Amino acid sequence: MALLCVENLTTRFHTRDGIITAVDNVSFAIEPGKVLGIVGESGSGKSVACYSIMGLIPSPPGRVEQGSAEFMGQDLLTLSPGQLRRIRGQKIGMIFQDPMTSLNPFVTIGDQLMESLRVHKGMSKKDARKRAIAALEEVGIREPERRFNSYPHEFSGGMRQRVMIAMALINEPDLLIADEPTTALDVTVQAQILDLIKRLQSEHNLSVIFISHDLGVVAHMADHVVVMQKGKVVETGSADQVFFSPQHPYTQKLVESLPTTAKPYSPQFQKDDKPFLRIKNLRTEFSRQHGFLFWKKWFHVRAVDDVTLTLRKGEILGLVGESGSGKSTLGRSIMRLVEPRSGEVLLDGVNLTELEPKRLRQARRDFQMIFQDPYASLNPRMTVFDALAEPLLIHRIVPPSQILSAVNQLMDDVGLDRRMVRKYPHEFSGGQRQRVAIARALAVRPQLIIADEPVSALDVTIQAQILELLLQLTQKYQLTMLFISHDLSVVRYVADRVAVMQQGKIVEEGEAEAIFSNPQHPYTRALLNAVHHLKKTDAA
Amino acid sequence: MLRIFLQRCLSAIPVLFLVVLFTFILIRLAPGGPFDDERAVPPQVLENLNKRYHLDDPIHVQFFDYVKHLLQGDFGPSFKYPSRTVTEVIYAGIPVTLELSLYAFLVALVFGITSGVIASLKPNTLQDYVPMSAAMIGICLPSFVLGPLLILVFGIQLDWLPVSGWGVTPGDKILPSITLGAGYAAYLARLSRGGMLETLSQDYIRTARAKGLSGWRVVFHHALRGALAPVVSFAGPAVAGLLSGSFVVETIYQIPGLGRFYLQAAFNRDYTMILGMTILFAFLIIICNLLADLLLLWLNPKLRGRK
Amino acid sequence: MSTEAVDFDLNRLEKGRSLWQDAFSRLKKNTLAMGGLVFLLLLIVLAVLTPWIAPYSYEEQNLMLGATPPSAEHWFGTDIFGRDQLTRILYGSRISLMVGFIATAVALCIGVTWGTIAGYIGGRVDALMMRFVDILYALPFTIFIILLTVVFGRSMLLLFLAIGAVEWLTMARIVRGQVMAIKHQEFIEAAVAMGMSRPRIMFKHVAPNVLGPIIIYTTLTIPSVILLESFLSFLGLGIQAPQSSWGSLISYGVETMEEYPWLLIFPALTLSMTLFALNFLGDGLRDALDPRVSKD
Repeated sequence: MALLCVENLTTRFHTRDGIITAVDNVSFAIEPGKVLGIVGESGSGKSVACYSIMGLIPSPPGRVEQGSAEFMGQDLLTLSPGQLRRIRGQKIGMIFQDPMTSLNPFVTIGDQLMESLRVHKGMSKKDARKRAIAALEEVGIREPERRFNSYPHEFSGGMRQRVMIAMALINEPDLLIADEPTTALDVTVQAQILDLIKRLQSEHNLSVIFISHDLGVVAHMADHVVVMQKGKVVETGSADQVFFSPQHPYTQKLVESLPTTAKPYSPQFQKDDKPFLRIKNLRTEFSRQHGFLFWKKWFHVRAVDDVTLTLRKGEILGLVGESGSGKSTLGRSIMRLVEPRSGEVLLDGVNLTELEPKRLRQARRDFQMIFQDPYASLNPRMTVFDALAEPLLIHRIVPPSQILSAVNQLMDDVGLDRRMVRKYPHEFSGGQRQRVAIARALAVRPQLIIADEPVSALDVTIQAQILELLLQLTQKYQLTMLFISHDLSVVRYVADRVAVMQQGKIVEEGEAEAIFSNPQHPYTRALLNAVHHLKKTDAA
Repeated sequence: MLRIFLQRCLSAIPVLFLVVLFTFILIRLAPGGPFDDERAVPPQVLENLNKRYHLDDPIHVQFFDYVKHLLQGDFGPSFKYPSRTVTEVIYAGIPVTLELSLYAFLVALVFGITSGVIASLKPNTLQDYVPMSAAMIGICLPSFVLGPLLILVFGIQLDWLPVSGWGVTPGDKILPSITLGAGYAAYLARLSRGGMLETLSQDYIRTARAKGLSGWRVVFHHALRGALAPVVSFAGPAVAGLLSGSFVVETIYQIPGLGRFYLQAAFNRDYTMILGMTILFAFLIIICNLLADLLLLWLNPKLRGRK
Repeated sequence: MSTEAVDFDLNRLEKGRSLWQDAFSRLKKNTLAMGGLVFLLLLIVLAVLTPWIAPYSYEEQNLMLGATPPSAEHWFGTDIFGRDQLTRILYGSRISLMVGFIATAVALCIGVTWGTIAGYIGGRVDALMMRFVDILYALPFTIFIILLTVVFGRSMLLLFLAIGAVEWLTMARIVRGQVMAIKHQEFIEAAVAMGMSRPRIMFKHVAPNVLGPIIIYTTLTIPSVILLESFLSFLGLGIQAPQSSWGSLISYGVETMEEYPWLLIFPALTLSMTLFALNFLGDGLRDALDPRVSKD
């Protein structure tokens, strides 16, 4: 018998711009002690479906229009708010995507943990404290007694997610709903959290609904999988069935979009190719000032610490690292968006770090950057035409009379409809915006592109298209590229060579295939082990 | 925490000093001496007067003399009424003004925060529109309009409440406190509604609801603390506004507070009186800002940390 | 995806909707804000045309007439000197609105410059500049203004400067916050990476994006300036007789409100209506221009 059985669930949002059907006639069920994965891209309705069951969608504007959610003999959708609250606190626990914002910053974690016990079980403060400390211990918080009175900001992201898990499970619920619980975390931390959830799931015979956009993670976690697209369930089945012999075209597309393979084609380099970009002993520090007047103190954080790298013409170097490793700062230091403290950046023999402002501005046409967030990297008040024409004009790439055809050429290059040039960024989708951003970078016909997490804000299917586009363009225009990413599979798909960065230093560097098949440095190995792939080869 | 506390306290001292300096110089810059518009004073008498008030000393000597006396709580003599010292007038007026401002502040806090929170719980419904319309009216009816209106309605037409004096007839403190507090209640209502809406949309409120807590517990235990930050940071300026607003209210309701003396001194060009009172007001306001600042620090665990 | 090699005539292409157009269409749907706007425009037109359209003379007294309640000849009644109240309120509007706009303009200039410089340069300059604002913020400005009028006598110029000097603080804070937020957006980094000059970045990329909040806050500064001026005039420290602003008319009305309530009610109503109109407009602009609202 199913623990939770959702049938024909429909949720709509009544906004002032019209009615949006976020969840459309969705049905799924979860067996006791099993893990159900719900997969889908952003806007697929996977989170809204679960929030609807729990009575957690913001209402108004949201409204559950129809359906039932049978849980232990009760329909959750017809319960009174009071009854539903008792289920929420005791029978079903939830954890959320962003552990940084999901805990109340004004309340100690101890109080937040004890709250559920005291409200639902009426426990005394002393008993609740004991139970809460045990719960912290179980999720792997060291010295729980000491950390009990700490505030959330004193914990790292991974630790906070552990606290969240402890809080969700403290009343020993039967079902845990985990909404993208590891998306905001680094890969190595993600692996630990996933292991923790798996362990607790089997120890307590929990049922888990695991919501994620990441097919690899879901494949690793789930027994049963539901695939959602635009509010509808398009495919359900066992994890193996869904991932290794997908039936629905959308699921097939999802699985194919995963960059699981190595770079499809690679340029041939001669041994004696001289380096096109050479970074020598680059250091970048951030200084932070604490205090005021008489108590001033300066702290120096070395974000990029003595980095030396070379790129050959036409090469793509993948730069991998976790958050805070300094990979983005390295990219920005090369671009001189932050001033490096010492070291040299030689681009085709020109030392960029020594250029004075005016010369630097002129030289910038040779090296361009593509940013992570396509929503933030375009000026919201400029049309696409203006955004693309501006660099052409400033650097006098073409005479004014040919601006239009040059812009058209750029639109063609990035696969955008020429007729959209007079639109504003907010009228485009995320993937289209990233194409515009790429076109803008290409407008000045640069030699070097620094791409800082260019696809991490995008859905898998869009991600695959953008990666494909980047590969095409590098080949067509003989671009050299530094490709910065936290995502190892993406880097494997695009890079000729790979450098691994940790705490400001390059810890390993080499040919892409060599790094992935035979990593030397322990950190590289840890990173690679933490990644969950769909193991396609096993199924085939 | 202690260090930040001390830092903030210490940094208020130079500000106070600058205020004293600035006001002192400004008063000395005023065209004409303090005794100019007196009936033609013989030069000999003027010289004696100047000597008595040490006006013939170099200005920096005068200034340090003044500061020295200030530190002992002495604001010096009044120029216009040699029989009274500024200190006496201040001692007479300040309890009244402080009491009035305190009541008005309480009115603002209680009505403002309550209606703001109530409105935020059901945005864009009647429960939101009614208190927010009231707040809009509060903002657009300044105290010098609201006061006379209240007098007309409750004092004269209905004859429910006394309309002048302070602590003379029972109930005579009600209308002035409401008049002074209403505008700030309206501001606080808008601020706390905004703060609540912002906080209620945070992820941690969703977590609290997912824990199965009741609506009240979510609001009081989880949302309110975060939502009150803008309210607290407005409290400093609000107190400043209340103190200067008391000028109007004291005039309308004929209350013998500091504000009325200040206006009298302003019209009489009683320079030492103005100087003393300006410094006192500045001092009060700086202290209130300091308190608000410290409260804000204390409310925020990130700043409270052991650094 | 289209790769047709046709060159389109740019001007015949469908135009996108800019955020400004979006905001304006949202504002148009807001009845209260539009009502406020219409009221204000009407009031401004009346105030500008007052010398030509005012029904009576401003100063001419008619002691025989004395204070009369509103009538067909004198819509808003007359004061104890027999002067037409409507005429006096219209002339008062000229003063109150002028103070409102000019002092706001002063605040706008200082605040925007200060905030932009602090926000754009950042670092120690910013810390120093904003610390200065913090200190000024903690000072009793209304009281200083009174002090200034005592020392230098009452004058319009002083009033403009003094009020403007108080109100710029909040403007500076808001602008600085906006500039800081915009400065770290990736499209500004992209502009720097593109090799654009600082002025170009300031004017083409930063300015259009901080304009919204500036417009909103300016609209909300005007009523608080008008209020401050009325406050001072009410206390007898602002505009001097025989000129009058709404504040001095109200204070005059308060003295005789028991006998001649219309002398209080009409100027009070005019002031409050104007404040309503400005606040509604400001709130409407906030709803229309706030990017958080426009996102969803």
